Amino acid sequence: MEIYRLSNKLPDEKIIKILRKDLFILIKKIALFVLLIILPMIFSYLMLAVYPDLLHGTVSYPLIVLSISAYYLFIWLFFFFTFIDYYLDVWIITNERIIDVQQKGFFARIISEQRLYRIQDVTSEVQGFLPTVFRYGNIYVQTAGSKQRFFFNEIPHPDIVRDEIIKLAERSKKKHKDIS
Amino acid sequence: MTFSLSFFLLIYALFLLLWGVFSLVAIYHMFRFGFLNFTTFFTTFIYIAISVLILFLSYQYISQISWGLNITVFEDLFNNWFNFN
Repeated sequence: MEIYRLSNKLPDEKIIKILRKDLFILIKKIALFVLLIILPMIFSYLMLAVYPDLLHGTVSYPLIVLSISAYYLFIWLFFFFTFIDYYLDVWIITNERIIDVQQKGFFARIISEQRLYRIQDVTSEVQGFLPTVFRYGNIYVQTAGSKQRFFFNEIPHPDIVRDEIIKLAERSKKKHKDIS
Repeated sequence: MTFSLSFFLLIYALFLLLWGVFSLVAIYHMFRFGFLNFTTFFTTFIYIAISVLILFLSYQYISQISWGLNITVFEDLFNNWFNFN
């Protein structure tokens, strides 16, 4: 189990599952990154075919060196932030609640939670060709008194996760009924 | 208009400064909000290692360029604009 600093940890609370978006979503982002690495190589190959003296110019050569360096540093940073966005967007399912942690851009972070005993309805959805093939999809959790649904976005095996949430919610409801 | 080639180097240095700040923000995010596990440490290490490699390779090329060179641009343009003969 991954070590996670659970905020406002409840007594006897245990982390059951930590979910991220499906690995395929990260692979799509890596593919874009690879394309961004290759693009300047193709572009420079074409440019050198048209202007063979480009790398010998007193101004063009330093400009090319600086531009290439800046470009690769930028896309490397861009990729790292993309990875962080994937890595830090998590849904934590504990035996007491579900927590949604979303990283929005550089400086925004949204954390929301719902208690399991308040859950009324859990719906899983797999829609489209790629989600069906790679078995990822969404889960909508409807809670009592809340108009807004809790949303698990592009997670692997949503059907299994839905069943698990339903089981945990039933257990939590029974526990809170017994206490009251 | 004449200016030194090092002007481009100055712009690059400003970019590096900005890039450095954002890199620190990214690493801060990783450790402040991430999981304390192997993946966090490994990916951060890979990010730093590849960054150092890009910077080192850039330095290898940049250090071979004579940045003291002066370049003139738009000379003909200005001459034509202000030539009333």
